[in-house]
Amino acid sequence: MSFISQDAPGKTVLLMGNEAIARGALEAGVKVCAAYPGNPSSEIIGTLAKVAEEMGLHVEWSVNEKVALEVAAAASFAGLRGLCAMKQNGLNVASDFLLNLNLSGCRGGLVLVVADDPAGVSSSNEEDSRIFAKLGDLPLLEPANFQEAKEMTKSAFEISERLGLPVLIRSVTRVSHARGNVCLDELPRSIPKPKFETSQPLAAFPAMPHHKILHERFNRAKEMVEESAFNFYRGPEKPELMVVTSGSGWMYSLEAVINLNVQDRVGILKLGTTWPLPESLVLNHLKKADRILFIEEVDPFLENNVKEVYAQNCLAVGPKAFFGKASGDIPGIGELNPEIVTQAIQNLIQVPYQPRPADYAMAAHEASAQLVPARALGFCPGCPHRATYWAVKVALALDGRDGVVLGDIGCYSLGLGPSGFGQMKTLHAMGSGIGLACGLGQLNRFGLEQPVIAVCGDSTFYHAAMPALANAHYNGANFLLLLLDNNATAMTGFQPHPGTGSTATGKEAPVIDLKALCEVFGARVEVVDPFDVAATVEILLRLLQKETGVKVLILKRECALVSAKHQKRLFRVEVEQDRCLGETCGCNRLCTRVFKCPGLMWDRASGKARIDEAICTGCGVCSEICPASAIRKEKA
Amino acid sequence: METGEKISRGLEGLEEKVFGRGLCTGCGACLSLCPYLRSWKGRVVKLDHCNLEEGRCFAYCPRTEVDLDRVYQGIFGKGYEEIEMGPFRKIMTARANDPVWRKKAQSGGVVSCLIDFALREGIIQAGILTPREGDLLPQGRIITSRKAVLRCAGSSYVAGPTLEALNRGPWKGEERIGIVGLPCQVLALARMKTSTLEKKTPIDRVDLVIGLFCTWAMDYQPFISFLQGRLNGRSIKKLNITPPPERILEVTAGGKMHRISVEEIRPFIRSSCRVCLDMTAELSDISVGTVEGKEGWNTVIARTAMGENLLRRAKNAGVIETRPLPKSNLNHLREASLLKKRRALDAVAAFNEKGEVEKTYFTLSTHLVKRILSGSLESGEATP
Repeated sequence: MSFISQDAPGKTVLLMGNEAIARGALEAGVKVCAAYPGNPSSEIIGTLAKVAEEMGLHVEWSVNEKVALEVAAAASFAGLRGLCAMKQNGLNVASDFLLNLNLSGCRGGLVLVVADDPAGVSSSNEEDSRIFAKLGDLPLLEPANFQEAKEMTKSAFEISERLGLPVLIRSVTRVSHARGNVCLDELPRSIPKPKFETSQPLAAFPAMPHHKILHERFNRAKEMVEESAFNFYRGPEKPELMVVTSGSGWMYSLEAVINLNVQDRVGILKLGTTWPLPESLVLNHLKKADRILFIEEVDPFLENNVKEVYAQNCLAVGPKAFFGKASGDIPGIGELNPEIVTQAIQNLIQVPYQPRPADYAMAAHEASAQLVPARALGFCPGCPHRATYWAVKVALALDGRDGVVLGDIGCYSLGLGPSGFGQMKTLHAMGSGIGLACGLGQLNRFGLEQPVIAVCGDSTFYHAAMPALANAHYNGANFLLLLLDNNATAMTGFQPHPGTGSTATGKEAPVIDLKALCEVFGARVEVVDPFDVAATVEILLRLLQKETGVKVLILKRECALVSAKHQKRLFRVEVEQDRCLGETCGCNRLCTRVFKCPGLMWDRASGKARIDEAICTGCGVCSEICPASAIRKEKA
Repeated sequence: METGEKISRGLEGLEEKVFGRGLCTGCGACLSLCPYLRSWKGRVVKLDHCNLEEGRCFAYCPRTEVDLDRVYQGIFGKGYEEIEMGPFRKIMTARANDPVWRKKAQSGGVVSCLIDFALREGIIQAGILTPREGDLLPQGRIITSRKAVLRCAGSSYVAGPTLEALNRGPWKGEERIGIVGLPCQVLALARMKTSTLEKKTPIDRVDLVIGLFCTWAMDYQPFISFLQGRLNGRSIKKLNITPPPERILEVTAGGKMHRISVEEIRPFIRSSCRVCLDMTAELSDISVGTVEGKEGWNTVIARTAMGENLLRRAKNAGVIETRPLPKSNLNHLREASLLKKRRALDAVAAFNEKGEVEKTYFTLSTHLVKRILSGSLESGEATP
């Protein structure tokens, strides 16, 4: 039995926020769980997949977030409880369905967890997903700690069923990925039988009557949230400053108020139901203070909505001064931390406080740099993407027409930086590289002379690239698609996908063959192993110089981290010290200065390159690029 | 250097001073020395950044800081003073006796048959030549047999990285080497020989350099696309440019001779040829070109003892037939050679913002520049 599925009511366990959400769903009796992986949300479904069999659940990694939400919604339509999880970008993909689902409504409890990534640490963008709740008139909950993450998830299923609407939970990195104590409740015993009630269709159309029903449901939600225990106030009756906060902002605010020792001067209104707002509760607390400070991560969602409630009731509430992102007291980008909140409060109430020195961050950075070797953000040792981008770099340089590489979402997004030799020139959404290629690949009729290349990973291909490939062939675009097939959704934690032959729960699954799929879409397809750099360059050059149509080159080589788990290294690699040219004319450290695989080390003392045997995966690519043939590889 | 700013004499400098200014001759001297430069369809391509302050790519290039006096001193033991067509010992017309050379080769077939003779006599064990193939794509090849020499006979009028073969090998390590090259390639070889950098190439085993007369060469890619358009992709068997005043490019392809005015192909001349001072490949052991008005013969200049010796042995062995170069032809050659230098100086002056000709890719004393421009024949009197 997994720790997440233990039937031990009253027991306190240490859980990651995402595990607490998963446990909440189990306690709510969830039956169907679906997601497309994306940090910081991936552990929710990952955790549930591990207990799927034992708990009698259907858990799947769907091909994309829209399909995932549809899978979970279908369970709800048949009366079961469904959970869907995704990261903020995922909601953009799922939003088309979501903004029809709000009108059709649902039956069994349906909860959509969206984990936002403030600062975009592991995302292509920084986005606040909460706006979708407002857009769709859907209830939104924001957990502020780990216990709440579990309780809110459970509660969200109840609210969903009472309103007949999907309920959104918005987490952030520091809630999803941090750990804290969680007290467990009972797991349900009943197993409901699904049935789709065919006498009552579920559709958004006709829109107006359904929109009216949605508004009625939304009004009921407004009443419900007034009583929610997830909203509370802590502080004096008449505070000098009222902090209004939600989610991760609660802990930061609490820490700041305690640090400044101003519990008797500053009050905190902590809101867990941030859409719709508990308007009466908010107005009653606004009356307590003249100065209001908003603490929340990413956009001023709470700030704007509270101001909206205030504007409607300002005569009754009286004049207020608002501080937050709009006033510039809180940064409009990036993650918050206790220091930012402490300084904002201190600025507003003038309390003696020794702020952290301005150069603290830099000094800390420098001190830590003494302890760890400097390392750039880059591909792992033996990563096939490094070999691929090397070949792309060489082929584009030789081709000489300033070819453009349109990027996509995955580990290979690092193609923007030095690890991918700066080859990638655009990066947007899942599948956007090939979509952009559909457009750029039409411009030669206007005189565009640059060859167009799109890169796309295997998981991303199933997720969002297939429509663009169909479009490309249909509309006659000219480009070369590089399908970087590493047989994993590597960046988010090696989740399986339709090409890997297994499911989320580890069961065997049919493999959907990428090559055959691309050929069905009318593309000329070739396959190469990127570790064969010379062959890859040759094929790339040949395909680039074919004038018309959609060409696909599948660069097939398993992710080095996946390979390491089930096979021994391919080669034993060694640098022959006598042959290594080092920094002299003829080499100038090509391997450690330009190729930069972390498995290669530069030995300052001897002025020669060496292999770091602890991390070298034995791919042998460096032996191909060494100009002096000093890097020897032998079958391991 | 006066400003204290570091001037790169490595790849950065090469990129700025040569590639960036369109001065690359495509000779191949910088190729296969390191992983940063590669040739692709007649173009030298930089693959990655190299930050060495000094490198062989820069040192060997015929378009970077060439101290002409120093290079000529290194090869001939005297400076750049014979301004018309460089130092020489003998000048003559010649042709191969065996018609097999004359048939495939340009004019008298002297170049091919001399390389063949040098190989057979053991003077060299390997030649580096440029095969003349149907797609005209120029590349250097190491050859050791008569059959291979024959495949390299004839001109393609395209500049190419012949010298890469010297740097790349493979070499056994003992071979004495003979190279046939254009004036830019011959200059690059002289720079390699006189360079003070660690060589790591078999340049010291290059015993014979045969230079070809050249007024300009074509840039491969635009030229070949032009020809393919004209010939509908047919494989090219032979190219020949008829002497002035006609100046027609004769292309033998698909069993037919196509005649194209030289004016039509002028736009494809490499821009680096416009600043070239050297028509007669002055830094060779033997320079070979056509003879105006005398088809089937070559003008041959012996410039070094090695060159003179080889020509004598070839003549004695009955491999070549020689005749004196008529005075009028010699005068014409001197004029043409000097005219190329003057045009190059004009081009360089137009190229440099300040109009300086002394400090360009080569250094030449003001005195010599003046002599070239005035055409004074006060020294270096030609004696056939």
